[in-house]
Amino acid sequence: MAALPSKMPLLRLFGDYQTGPFYDEMFAAPDTPRPHYAKIFERLASMIPAQFEERRQHADLAFLLQGITFTVYSDGRGTERLFPFDLIPRIIPNSEWQRIDRGLAQRVIALNLFLQDVYGKQRIFADRQIPRSLIYSCKHFLREVIGIEVPRGIHTHVCGIDLVRESKTGEFCVLEDNVRTPSGISYVLENRLVMMRTFPDAFHAYEVLPVNHYPAELSRILRNLSPRGGDDAQVVLLTPGIYNSAYFEHSFLAQQMGIELVEGRDLITDGGIVYMKTIHGLKRVDVIYRRVDDEFLDPLAFRPDSVLGVPGLMAAYRAGNVALANAVGNGVADDKAIYAYVPTFVRYYLGEDPILRSVETYLCSRKEDLAYVLDHLPELVVKAVGESGGYGMLMGPTATRERLEDFAQRIKADPRNYIAQPVQPLSLVPSYDPALGAIEGRHVDLRPYCLYDGERVTIVPGGLTRVALQQGSLIVNSSQGGGSKDTWVLHGEN
Amino acid sequence: MLSRIADSLFWLARYIERAEYTARILDVNFHTVLEQSKDRYRLHWDPLIVMAGEEERFRSLYREADARAVFEFLAFRHDNPSSIVECITKARENARTIRDYISREMWEDINSFYFTVCRFQPEEEMAAGPHRFCDAIRFGSHRFHGVTDATLPHDEGWEFLRVGWFIERAEMTARLVDVQYHILYDAPAGIGGADNHQWMAVLKSVGAYEAYHRKYHSSIEPEKVAEMLIMHPLHPRSIRFSITEVQSGLRAISGSGAGSYANEAERLTGKVLERLRYDRITEIFQLGLHSYLNEMLRLCGAIGEDIARNYFYYGAVA
Repeated sequence: MAALPSKMPLLRLFGDYQTGPFYDEMFAAPDTPRPHYAKIFERLASMIPAQFEERRQHADLAFLLQGITFTVYSDGRGTERLFPFDLIPRIIPNSEWQRIDRGLAQRVIALNLFLQDVYGKQRIFADRQIPRSLIYSCKHFLREVIGIEVPRGIHTHVCGIDLVRESKTGEFCVLEDNVRTPSGISYVLENRLVMMRTFPDAFHAYEVLPVNHYPAELSRILRNLSPRGGDDAQVVLLTPGIYNSAYFEHSFLAQQMGIELVEGRDLITDGGIVYMKTIHGLKRVDVIYRRVDDEFLDPLAFRPDSVLGVPGLMAAYRAGNVALANAVGNGVADDKAIYAYVPTFVRYYLGEDPILRSVETYLCSRKEDLAYVLDHLPELVVKAVGESGGYGMLMGPTATRERLEDFAQRIKADPRNYIAQPVQPLSLVPSYDPALGAIEGRHVDLRPYCLYDGERVTIVPGGLTRVALQQGSLIVNSSQGGGSKDTWVLHGEN
Repeated sequence: MLSRIADSLFWLARYIERAEYTARILDVNFHTVLEQSKDRYRLHWDPLIVMAGEEERFRSLYREADARAVFEFLAFRHDNPSSIVECITKARENARTIRDYISREMWEDINSFYFTVCRFQPEEEMAAGPHRFCDAIRFGSHRFHGVTDATLPHDEGWEFLRVGWFIERAEMTARLVDVQYHILYDAPAGIGGADNHQWMAVLKSVGAYEAYHRKYHSSIEPEKVAEMLIMHPLHPRSIRFSITEVQSGLRAISGSGAGSYANEAERLTGKVLERLRYDRITEIFQLGLHSYLNEMLRLCGAIGEDIARNYFYYGAVA
């Protein structure tokens, strides 16, 4: 009774698991789990597929009932889809996390100094570290905010920095910075809750660092921005509304922080002060955690057709009567051409060497880079500099000849708009494929969330592991079949 | 509290109440009809459509008001804005815009209520009859009331829910009584004896059948049924009870005490309540029940509008 039943199902849940040519985070070699994955591997191997399937459905139901969904408008009525959740956690040993933590903190502080500088004294141009023309030609560089002194000098209150593992060494490096309105933290927190409910036994085997202090820390940072000081700062979260794909997150964070969730129509400005409309009259607002993009914030300052924003908001911001997080104009730091300069910023502003490497990047605006890119298009990923979410992208190795040709033309027509990088062979983490009823390796990336209070960077251990659930896919975006996993940073090494 | 949140709470409650009331009426009428002769059929189904205020739309979609058509129209049609599925969908949409405000359990409850409703297959239900579906709606509404009562702080937000619930209920009860009398007056047999079944159905649909017998110890008489549904001080579906709840909710929001009022909505509520307390049912019948109930409905509408003016809408900058 003892030996046989526990061995037989093992083969089934892991099927004929292949490690393949990519970096596999669980297995050092076929059937040999890395030390920090050994216990979870044993646990999974001892389960029969039906048990696993039952827990998976349990987790899905929990997400559905809590409305942790995003809406797809394809049939005119709007159907809600789950953001697929994979039950097998991704595990990071403490020492590895420590390096990531230090590296991210360093990067966030450098990005903040860069934003202070380009919207302030602009020393970096005088010191010839980056061409002025490159900055001024960024789609998201806003001249309108030059000279505005932001509260406490903070531009990058919340950053989501995407990391991927280097394919041979497994070392984490930076793929992308998101310092505008990065989303996804709610999934980190909800994934953990659902995971603890459905897989409590897996937690017993490990000491996993908690993540639930994020809302309290964000709330503290926001309150400290209040131009009126004092403890009774009125902080609100500005959302585009229920049709925004991240609406769940907006309401979740507002609830967790105990602040009002407002839409543009709930706010009004008068005499350079922002108010919200309550049942007992207008009430002054001090701090806005805005999840509305820059160009929609204020129809008087930016897009006049925006109905999501608040007329007069920028004037109130400029007058220092209301704080905005994140600061306006941060998009320049997300520009994919600027990304190539972040190591320069770290050295220039901090006098330190970057702890986390960046991915090799070719700027098509540079003559020699452009020539290289056009010669090696089928090996590269080409990205439009001002886009995010996987839009405006060319995956060289899988593109048709027509598409390569088309992209070459586009690059030649507007080289400043494109960068190229070698294809990142994302690492694999074992994931359950419901169609196969078995576990297979799937590609992942990692987005940790960094909070900056002007002095210290706080990062909840781990972050959002996005997983490309389609076999062989390298695209982790939720709009294209991506899911997520709970990410465990351990108290120790295993 | 944000005006928009108050607005959403008010309508969230109204939509749930409307769905529950519609389900109750549908269910009871369906079962009463089973014991009726076929020529009296219309007397059952027509009032339901009139009550929903959707006669025109119904006529444009169906040739005849039979059980199947009425059930489909009131329960499932997405092009009927008062259908049960539309009410639950809108209730959930309202809840979704304020899910940071309501308790997590309330959100999970209304969300699972919505999914329950979506899972019903209209064809299958129409073949089976409305009981199973209507039961689920009634139960879902009760559960939502319970979860709300037990998990949401009884503060201003809760009062807006209460006001929404009871203003809707008062209106639905007024329409129910009005429509039933109207149709039965027009019917050849008059409003007496033969329509006992109809009146029983009315009482059962609001869950007041047993309470009626306890109070009147008599057979079902139309005047008494009307008295019970309009003026009973303690039956939770009577108009008087409902308006008392509205008044108490509005006072809690504004802080005004007994005998005074802070706005037009409170003044009108007080006025309605005085009439419901001191009028006699015989006086009402002398004046004409229809015009009496119509005036009630008009006042309820005015109360709703003034609540919106006071608490929900902002004009230009003050």
